[in-house]
Amino acid sequence: MEAFISSTLFFLTNDPDEETIQLKTMELFAPLPQLFTSGITFGAIYALVGLGFVTIAKASQMINFAQGEFVMLGGMLTFFLFKEIQLPYLLSAFLTIPLVMLIGCLLHLLVIYPLRKASLPILLMATLGASLFLSSASALLFGTLPKALPPFINRPPIDIGPISISLQSLWVVGATCLVLLFLYLLSHRTLLGKAMEASSTDPLGADLSGISRHLMIFIAFGVSAGMGSLAGIFITPIFYVSYHSGTLIGLKGFIAAILGGWGKHSGAILGGFVLGVVESLSVAFMPSGYKDAIAFVVLLLILYLKPKGILGSPFIDSRRW
Amino acid sequence: MVDQAQKEFRTRDLLYSIALWFLSWLIPDPQLHYRREYKFKKRDLFYLSAVLVFPLIWPDPHIHHLMVLAGIHGILALGLTLFLGYAGQISLGQAAFFGVGAYTTAVLTTRYGLPSFLAFWASAIMAAIFALLIGKPLLKLKGYFLALATLGFGEIFLVLVRENASLTGGVIGIFNIPFFSFAGFTFDTYLKQYYLIWGVLTGLVLFSKNLVRSKMGRACLAVASSEEGASALGIDVAWIKLGVFTVGAAFAGLAGSLFASVMSTANPETFSLNLSVLIVMMVVLGGMGNLYGPIAGAIFLTVLIDRLSRYQEYSLPLYGVILILLLIFFPDGIGTRLRVRLIYLISYFGRKKRREKVNL
Repeated sequence: MEAFISSTLFFLTNDPDEETIQLKTMELFAPLPQLFTSGITFGAIYALVGLGFVTIAKASQMINFAQGEFVMLGGMLTFFLFKEIQLPYLLSAFLTIPLVMLIGCLLHLLVIYPLRKASLPILLMATLGASLFLSSASALLFGTLPKALPPFINRPPIDIGPISISLQSLWVVGATCLVLLFLYLLSHRTLLGKAMEASSTDPLGADLSGISRHLMIFIAFGVSAGMGSLAGIFITPIFYVSYHSGTLIGLKGFIAAILGGWGKHSGAILGGFVLGVVESLSVAFMPSGYKDAIAFVVLLLILYLKPKGILGSPFIDSRRW
Repeated sequence: MVDQAQKEFRTRDLLYSIALWFLSWLIPDPQLHYRREYKFKKRDLFYLSAVLVFPLIWPDPHIHHLMVLAGIHGILALGLTLFLGYAGQISLGQAAFFGVGAYTTAVLTTRYGLPSFLAFWASAIMAAIFALLIGKPLLKLKGYFLALATLGFGEIFLVLVRENASLTGGVIGIFNIPFFSFAGFTFDTYLKQYYLIWGVLTGLVLFSKNLVRSKMGRACLAVASSEEGASALGIDVAWIKLGVFTVGAAFAGLAGSLFASVMSTANPETFSLNLSVLIVMMVVLGGMGNLYGPIAGAIFLTVLIDRLSRYQEYSLPLYGVILILLLIFFPDGIGTRLRVRLIYLISYFGRKKRREKVNL
């Protein structure tokens, strides 16, 4: 903010020569296309994490604050299998996904299922406690140093005019589209997906028609953990992943899901891209230290002005909130 | 036959009721608020004398320091229990108000040389102003969304503290905050600080006891059970929620001020999400809807963290596991469940004898 104000002051105090102003504005807006593309990459990650939240919300209307830890575990486990055990890259990535899904299912069995009748603050605290356990346990097992994987395909980034796109960000966007397609097919074309949605929209009705609600939530936890680990595998080549990075990514994914419209797959995707682009463009106008606050400012604004999100939400103003 | 057996007086019933009476001294009664009017009872006297005597019978500076921390956590938890336990709303932003209080005291005493007694009250007022400003829009929300929004406020506060280094000292924080002093008396040893903190806590407990029994406290209980019902009775739900939120924030501001002047430092690492989670955990484990529970929870968790810290890198995973187990096995507070279990156990033997008699 200070830099922005000082640059504006600079415009005002110095002689308003048109050429200089044009030059200054050019300098200000020159990195915008590049920031926009990196925002898209960030956005795809937030969308992937947000989809994990939505999957659980579609089955039980609860929120799992340990979702970000699945992302962290995805990156950490792949790194562990690839570097320590020296498995091939592809194999370690494919092994990580079922492992993290197993952890997600265990989380449901050991923490969420025993608390199925508990009130909201207790459920919230239990998932936060699980998040604390997962992050500190992974620090214990894999070390506290930040880790980075090599990119999937080692090629120089593609240059299109002034912007350069790394291949890894294309991978991330592609993975988001694939996961969205998978979730669309799951919830619109299979009986399992319909049963999951039924168990959240009308628990009593689901019970009466013979749907085991707890089984549905169990499966939803597995699926969302798998999606989280996928996000982790795809982002570790771009960013460093360390044991405590899961919480912030999880929260931003949740904000993305609320921004687009809580409880909708399309909402999570749209919210993720909007949040990523806004966050990355903010770097041009503000000191980068404020970047983490942007997401939360967006959250407060959307909750205050339009709690249903951009695309509208099927869940808000229903029973639980 | 059954009625006769129940009416019959037996001397051994006295024994059970004596045990129950002693129990009622020690363990708070969660249903107190709708059972009977509050009077100053023997239990309060017992707690007060225990607080007064404790550091004298256990003269270990480490324990004193630990209890100072526990007292600060107790003030925080007491502020939150008004909001979470009585008004039924959840807040994960209590650490931010704690931070507001700590930084107000730190800046006022080190930069402007204000006496710490004035800074103490200024921090409470500052935290209350912050709470009024952000509570007005945020308290429309409920449940998970309120939790997330308050959490977001906490994160924004942390970023602001880190970035405005000229005011708050950035990541490093502010050092050499003077000890709390009042009328020429400086609280510079752990023992003096213990009496300072627990004295403030006693005052705040008395304040909350009165608040809970006032019109506002009863309105809070109505809001917690049903917002629609409460507004149908003519209670201004938004105002009540905002008022309780502000009072809780002012408590947190006081705690922050005491923390800054006891520890002599304020840095942003202290006021992170972990502290907010810890405070909510204290309230949940202490039992929602009573005033002594959160303080007991604060002492319990502070001592637990201190005991766990000797296991070095294993302490955090262990802490997580213990928290989850406590939540699973004591979902409505350790005190509440323990009380119910003990009453059940004590009265079990009585009922057993009586059952045998009836069956014969």
